[in-house]
Amino acid sequence: MAITRMRFSQFAAFAELDFVASRGINVLVGANGTGKTHLMKVAYAACDVSKTKENFAEKLIRVFMPSARNLARLVRQQQTNSAELMKRRVAIFRDDRSLVALFPNPLVHYPSYVMGSDEAVIANTKEWCAHPLESVYIPVKEMLANAPGFRSLYTQREIHFEEIYADILDRAYRPPLRDPMDHNRRRLLANLQQVIGGEVETVGEEFFLRSEQGNLEFTLLAEGTRKLGLLWQLIQNGSILEGSILFWDEPETNLNPQLFGRLVEILLELQRMGVQIFIATHDYVLLKELDLRMNAQDQIAFHSLYRESENGPIALYTTEAYLDIHPNAIAQTFDCLYDREIERSMRGGE
Amino acid sequence: MTTLVEGNIQITFPGGANVRKFDDKSHGLSHCMKAVDFMVEFGSRVSFIEIKDFDHPRSEKREELIEKFKNEYLDNDLVYKFRDSFLYEWAYRRVAKPIDYWILIASQALTKAHLGPRSEAIKRKLPLAAALHGPIKKQWKQEIVARCGVFNISTWNANFRNYPVRRI
Repeated sequence: MAITRMRFSQFAAFAELDFVASRGINVLVGANGTGKTHLMKVAYAACDVSKTKENFAEKLIRVFMPSARNLARLVRQQQTNSAELMKRRVAIFRDDRSLVALFPNPLVHYPSYVMGSDEAVIANTKEWCAHPLESVYIPVKEMLANAPGFRSLYTQREIHFEEIYADILDRAYRPPLRDPMDHNRRRLLANLQQVIGGEVETVGEEFFLRSEQGNLEFTLLAEGTRKLGLLWQLIQNGSILEGSILFWDEPETNLNPQLFGRLVEILLELQRMGVQIFIATHDYVLLKELDLRMNAQDQIAFHSLYRESENGPIALYTTEAYLDIHPNAIAQTFDCLYDREIERSMRGGE
Repeated sequence: MTTLVEGNIQITFPGGANVRKFDDKSHGLSHCMKAVDFMVEFGSRVSFIEIKDFDHPRSEKREELIEKFKNEYLDNDLVYKFRDSFLYEWAYRRVAKPIDYWILIASQALTKAHLGPRSEAIKRKLPLAAALHGPIKKQWKQEIVARCGVFNISTWNANFRNYPVRRI
């Protein structure tokens, strides 16, 4: 059961946003500060609580880490006195099922019998949790190399890490599924092994790459290899499986562009197996690899997040056609490089 | 075999190709319509070909030229050249075969990496069927342009062995 839609009102980076998701791959593009990560974090928090049955608002706090864990900081500080909760909300949909969070106006003092400023009203939790979703959020920063001790530190102490970092380690430490692995997963893992040069092994809390040359600890591996090693581990232990949802923030970081093609093939393959995917990217090569490698049956939506004016609200344009992505901050950057090359070559040594 | 020249660039077409040099002077409507340099009918397809020689431009002021070669002006110029040429042919009832649009930008300074985004921008603006989205995608019954690409001299020669170009 995939995420089908998300609606934001005065929450996180968004004033009003209606996001309709593809059941396949959702590619989020846009300049910095247009809410790509916010959108993925909200969706991930909703998926995660469907399984853990935790309070959605509390999960949002741990995933976003607002200062002093103050929920009100996630709500847009709108100069309005309206106390109406419907004005500040998030709704996540999977077909006809939805999880809704309504937030208080940070500028209004509510009577204590209504709610405190650090609370939220969560609706439809029971139905939402009746069908738990398996989900994985791969953050920009690689965590496996620094995993030993991190989880116990995270649970015992107040350390300033968004929960996505602890969550990804929880997923990575999971033991393999008992069910026999099907052909598609086996092939995917074999592809990944070719790229990273071995299999991932956990000894105690430490991750190693096991190859013919022996075991190599993750701290000694290139960051790009660690990243693909994590993907291998998540596919192998069934965290990424048919019906699960993968959120991946800037998969391109620390990866040599030569590997983007392989990475995109793996994402397309996962999508064909029934994994719903959300990625945020700033990279032209990654986008172009998707455009060149996708076929007509693949379900891909490109979501361009942008601001009409410098401080204007964030808007969204969604399309299935790569060439129709607009505005396209990545393409604009290349246009700018082209112009500067023209200028330099025609002015010569001036 | 037909050999034609556009500025300092020479292009050779194979024997079976029906080639027209088609520029503003020959089509007689230069006051209102732009035109691509060549139209080539070969086998089951038609190619519109436009050649831009950045390294040996015709005499114009440099500042104006720089503006003309930058993406915004250049992309629009290339798009309108195609569309006007297409309309011209349509009015003659000569649009029967799929039309491709091939653009040569002769410049030492511009590599494949610079020209890739130009190809995409022009595909987006023409637009190619692949750039359509939503209901229009199904409702448009005909393509305006079948294929399109921007090349430099070396990528042109690697891709179009039938139509080699060289600088003279």
